[in-house]
Amino acid sequence: MLLIALLLIPVAASVASFFVRRREAMEVANVAGFGIVFLASVALAAQVLARGAVSLCNGFFYADALSALVILLTASVALVCSTYSIGYLRDDQQSGALGDDLTSVEQLALLRMYYSLTPLLVFSMLFMAMANNLGVMWAAMEATTLASIFLVTFYGKVTSIEAAWKYAIIGGVGLSMALFGTIVTYYAGHSLPGSDALSGLNWSVLAQHAAQLDKTSMRLAFVLILLGYGTKAGLAPMHTWKPDAYSEAPVPSAAILSSALLNCALYCLIRFYILTSRCLGPEYPGRLLLLFGLLSMGISVPFILVQQNYRRLLAYHTIDHAGIMTTALGLGGVLGSLGLMLHMAFHTIAKSLLFLCAGNVSQHFRTDLFSRIKGSVIGAMPLTGVVFLMAMLAIIGMPPFSLFQSEFLIVRAAFDGGHVLTGVLFVLFGTGVFAGALLHVGGMILGPKSDAPPAGPRPWRDGSLLALAVALVVIGFWIPAPLFELIRGAARVVSGQ
Amino acid sequence: MTPFLDMQIGDRIITLMAALVLVLQIAMVSQRWIVVHIRIFAAQSFFLAMIAATIAWFNHAPHIYIAAALTLVVKVILVPILFERLVERMEIHEEIEPIVNVPLSVLISGALTLVGYVVAESFYKPGEPGLGHNALAVAISLFLIGFFTMINRRKALTQVLALLSLENGLFLAAISLTYGMPLIVELGILFDVLVAAMVLGILVYRIRETFESMDVSRLRRLRG
Amino acid sequence: MTGQIIGRLIESIAQLCLLLAIAPLVTGVIRALKARMQTRRGPGILQPYRDLYKLFRKGMVIPETASWIFVATPWIVFFSTVLAGLMIPMVAAEAPLGLFGGVLAVIYLLGLGRFFLALSGLDTGSSFGGLGSSREMTISALAEPAMMLAIFTVAIGAGSTSLTQIAGAAIGQNWRFLAPAQMFAFAALALVLIAETGRIPVDNPDTHLELTMIHEAMILEYSGPYLALVEWAASIKQLVLMTLLINCFWPIGLQPTWFGFGALQGIAWLLAKLLFLSCAIVLIETVNAKTRLFRVPELLAVAFTLGSLALISTFLF
Repeated sequence: MLLIALLLIPVAASVASFFVRRREAMEVANVAGFGIVFLASVALAAQVLARGAVSLCNGFFYADALSALVILLTASVALVCSTYSIGYLRDDQQSGALGDDLTSVEQLALLRMYYSLTPLLVFSMLFMAMANNLGVMWAAMEATTLASIFLVTFYGKVTSIEAAWKYAIIGGVGLSMALFGTIVTYYAGHSLPGSDALSGLNWSVLAQHAAQLDKTSMRLAFVLILLGYGTKAGLAPMHTWKPDAYSEAPVPSAAILSSALLNCALYCLIRFYILTSRCLGPEYPGRLLLLFGLLSMGISVPFILVQQNYRRLLAYHTIDHAGIMTTALGLGGVLGSLGLMLHMAFHTIAKSLLFLCAGNVSQHFRTDLFSRIKGSVIGAMPLTGVVFLMAMLAIIGMPPFSLFQSEFLIVRAAFDGGHVLTGVLFVLFGTGVFAGALLHVGGMILGPKSDAPPAGPRPWRDGSLLALAVALVVIGFWIPAPLFELIRGAARVVSGQ
Repeated sequence: MTPFLDMQIGDRIITLMAALVLVLQIAMVSQRWIVVHIRIFAAQSFFLAMIAATIAWFNHAPHIYIAAALTLVVKVILVPILFERLVERMEIHEEIEPIVNVPLSVLISGALTLVGYVVAESFYKPGEPGLGHNALAVAISLFLIGFFTMINRRKALTQVLALLSLENGLFLAAISLTYGMPLIVELGILFDVLVAAMVLGILVYRIRETFESMDVSRLRRLRG
Repeated sequence: MTGQIIGRLIESIAQLCLLLAIAPLVTGVIRALKARMQTRRGPGILQPYRDLYKLFRKGMVIPETASWIFVATPWIVFFSTVLAGLMIPMVAAEAPLGLFGGVLAVIYLLGLGRFFLALSGLDTGSSFGGLGSSREMTISALAEPAMMLAIFTVAIGAGSTSLTQIAGAAIGQNWRFLAPAQMFAFAALALVLIAETGRIPVDNPDTHLELTMIHEAMILEYSGPYLALVEWAASIKQLVLMTLLINCFWPIGLQPTWFGFGALQGIAWLLAKLLFLSCAIVLIETVNAKTRLFRVPELLAVAFTLGSLALISTFLF
């Protein structure tokens, strides 16, 4: 029941936003819809904790702790971003950033597109997290790509179209490979009884009988899946679409893409990792995941060090964290899985917070380049400046923030498991990112004061920022027990206990 | 009616159509005119639907008929019409200059077909009855050649068509490996293909408007 | 023993007469059909015969700068083509000179003729001749491997390179044509046929414009009986290739031997199949435009790839 509600409400919000006339109505539809979705996802998490995995429609929908966590994170990000986007888009409309030559009717149409597509994007993500059938999961993933393409082209600039094109094509090719991997997985299971029915591609069924899957096919399937869903996650060397897409999309969309959509791509990888490790043993998929994870972390370091555009810096940072989480998945075991899940939760909060702060900065100073930010951010927008700096410190792993704990767990898992090289590289790359990010962002925030006028009151945006910031700080010190139980449950799904 | 139920004949028919599909894919590589590209894609999808229907007939699997019919409607009728209208609106009938010249690309496609055969070999153990064994080799070749065409071509619309022919290869692989995926999955995939074609079509149109050309090698402002 | 030799002799003479008689007819039919399709009246079907007769009676002009190659070439081309024609099965599965060579001999004989034709084009020192020769060599460099691959595919299918065996193996196997290897080989050979006989889209046989000539450019300096010989040889080569294509893939109506009432039946079937193939060629010529010269390698690359796919398919499919 909850699952159906989780699906229907975003669709309703999208349809409502499409048909209403006034901008305020669209905003209300979105925020209300996401608010209900958030409450429903909390209820779902509670249900999963109490009674184990939820299954509906003869196993078509399936939500265990992993799904519930991903759904909860998606819903929270969507809610915060929708409140933020109210203030953000109003400012854009007033300042003419939507396009100087657009009439007010056309601007409204643009806003309508945003407010209709975002709930559809969230709908696809939620559908994907609760779909049991791997093919349906793929279709939902493709739907997220299609829904977000027009979000990237929102501003209609030359660079937006280029970014959207790269996103579409690279994402399309990647998802085709993932589809091929899904087909091969289906073939691997075709010798199991009952594989002709719909349940033949069901993850829960395949996971149960994973040891009987055809080994050669699973090897090929996992490579294809890693290449395919890894493209969506932004792992190197398939990451080239990320900096462009994140810097061109409107900030709330970029926040959703970089935290919630990344989680979804990793979710798909995790599902297939579980199947493959139960079939072939954890070394084969683990080694591949470590390769791609460390490669992503390594590639992001030079690009962060020489970066001049702070939104692209955040994008490379996301690539870095995708690499971290992939490394954690590759390490596996109890510690690795726990580190992965904790990192996923913390990263979602911190990354979306960072993007929202960056949105504030870019709207006020009207530029994306470090060098053009005259005056300190602290002087012009004290709240944003402080929160930005804090979030940056958090995300690069400074204690006592939560990400330090998760990254520490991952490093411990590496050394415990005998992956010394992995641990060393992890620390090395982490240091590089630390230095680069701190250097650039710190310089931007704490530069010499200038005469830039301070920003006026921004209730919606600052409120959302504050909410996330509080959550980030609090979670560093105390995780509410149910949430921790949920994370532990998800980790148990991954490590197979 | 007996000859029509003979597996051997079925295998021959499927092999024949798979070979035609492969020839069409190679013809797509050597083509220069965008409209012909679209029509070759339509013909290729038609043969794929026929292969699916043949497999459905010989295996008495009615749900594959539905997949074949849907493929017919979406990929043979809707998507080509969509793209032909787009080409008319954009008024492009220009030739496409690939990055690697045409004779060499045709030869590379031949080599990729060989790779496809080799990969397909590892899927079948001897003694396993399989209708459409050859179709898997063609499917993998289609996938590889489509991928190569995407890298090779510069016009945005041709890249989209190459992506769609890649998906054609995947459809054929699914049909020949496992006699199609569960119907819901096929529905989902086809729906996605349709929406993807529409979305990409709109995107191509906007590229043409913004850049005055469909040449994607001009999309290089975002670096670093 | 003697009976066999005499039998062979009679067969050879019969096939020779057939070759010499039918070749100009095929050219005439193709021209007439093309004219009709273009809503012209066009020359009659027997016009090539009249042309040959006229040319044989005319005087000859030989350039001063020409050497013995110029004089020898028409004879070499004519006889090598006729010899190749005697080695292919036309009416009966058994080619008269089939014992002396199989498929490779045919290809090389045709290649010998082309070689000398190209040399003679260079021999006169005129620029047109050199132009034609170089273009012809470019095309044949790509077309010959394709032809060889396609024919080897068929030979592997039949287990021998002897054309008699190939045609014999093809008789009585109805479904074999639908095998992918055969289809690819047929497609490759069809493309090569168009290239070798100088038809649109590779070359325009009716033009004398510098930009579009290939075969015509090489023989531009010939006149009188030599021109007649060269033109006749060209139409015989066209007939040989068409018959090869037909009888390797659709050996319907091919008789086991020359003798008996079956021979007339065989000739009738041959003429019918040639008519059908002529119609196909006319259709291709009318629908297409001549490809620019540097795009011709693309067409032949497709033929080459089809040929290699055909060969590979015999092992894999």
